[in-house]
Amino acid sequence: MSDAIKIRNLAWRAGRDFAIRDLAMTVPTGAIYGFLGPNGSGKTTTIRLMLGMQQASDGSIEVLGHSVPRQAHKALARIGYVPERLHLYQGLTVEESVRYHRAFFPTFDATEAERLRKRFGLREDALVAKLSKGEAGKLMMLLALSQRAELLVLDEPTDGLDPVIRREVLSALVEYVDGAKATVFISSHLVHEQERICDWIGVMDGGRLIAELPMQEFRSGIKRLRVHKAPVSRDATPFALLSRETPTQHLEEWVVRGWQPEMQEWFARVGAEVRDVQDLDLEESFVELLRGSRVATTTETR
Amino acid sequence: MFEHIDPRSPTPIYAQIADRVRLAVAAGDLRAGEGLPSVRALAGQLRVNPATVVQAYRDLERDGLVEMRQGAGTFVADVAVETRARERAAAAQRFVRQMLTEAARLGLSPTDLRLALERDLPESK
Repeated sequence: MSDAIKIRNLAWRAGRDFAIRDLAMTVPTGAIYGFLGPNGSGKTTTIRLMLGMQQASDGSIEVLGHSVPRQAHKALARIGYVPERLHLYQGLTVEESVRYHRAFFPTFDATEAERLRKRFGLREDALVAKLSKGEAGKLMMLLALSQRAELLVLDEPTDGLDPVIRREVLSALVEYVDGAKATVFISSHLVHEQERICDWIGVMDGGRLIAELPMQEFRSGIKRLRVHKAPVSRDATPFALLSRETPTQHLEEWVVRGWQPEMQEWFARVGAEVRDVQDLDLEESFVELLRGSRVATTTETR
Repeated sequence: MFEHIDPRSPTPIYAQIADRVRLAVAAGDLRAGEGLPSVRALAGQLRVNPATVVQAYRDLERDGLVEMRQGAGTFVADVAVETRARERAAAAQRFVRQMLTEAARLGLSPTDLRLALERDLPESK
């Protein structure tokens, strides 16, 4: 199985304050890949580099087998892209926008566009300039889905939309994926949506990809442990310790990454006892992971 | 039947979907030969990855609760009465285990739970 997106050693710099460093990313064909990260972590920049809209200073990018930016035009013909700032011509109607978009993509499916237009409740003769934010979002999604693209790149496609419209858009996306067996790359900080539909997760922070793994591993590997008689030293743990708190005198709460049940033995050896192992949801895991990675970076630079 | 699927629960979404079907079959709400929603329809309705629905249906098929017919869809199998009873017992067990874990976290003892249960259960005949 090939990969839809393969990025290696990517570097890019904007002034002194922000840089993408040594970024490696692999999106398997057929995955629904959730791209998470706080604001300003470099998600949109990574997407723009990936689509050849900005040029990296170092590294390699391959999208659908095409090398970017050199063959970006070939890749783009097979990609449906919904940018963070919606790109629509204000003077066109819905129907004209569809015809305009269609001219660029030979694979465009007009029947599908019409079906989605009705489903999304968009009037043919409505002027783009008069559309609500939600309607404009639906129109962008309609255009991307009707392209019959092999890869959909969605940059915060549902952020700022109301819950009813978010549901409509996500349902249409999921149904498209099932029919077309397409790969989806979806950047968002609406973690609960990612949690439902994604099977891969990549996490950006400060221009670096700090984690990339299948959703189930991501969820099952990060745990909160309640530790009785916790050891003072945190050396040589068989897992990564992301955070450590002492809510009561005798009990510590540890958030760990890479947890396996057998690791209970390690605590027994150091004279401690794990009282409870709690699962975290994606949002908590994400927050803890960022906290852990930031602590690690500060220690490194000292 | 598939309301309140909770993506934040530690139980994976595919297992939650499968559990709903198991319970509906066990309770007799789904009868032999009845069709389940198509993968696309259910994935769309729940806004989950289609692969998640496929995994749920495969699990159910492996346990003999449904049949997946190529091109036609997924149908409830003819399930023996004993299997239905077993599925109900298993569902009740899962529920109790969940409650026990939760209770332990809150610092409630088994005795606390037993007393509370006896107070709230209708008189057994």
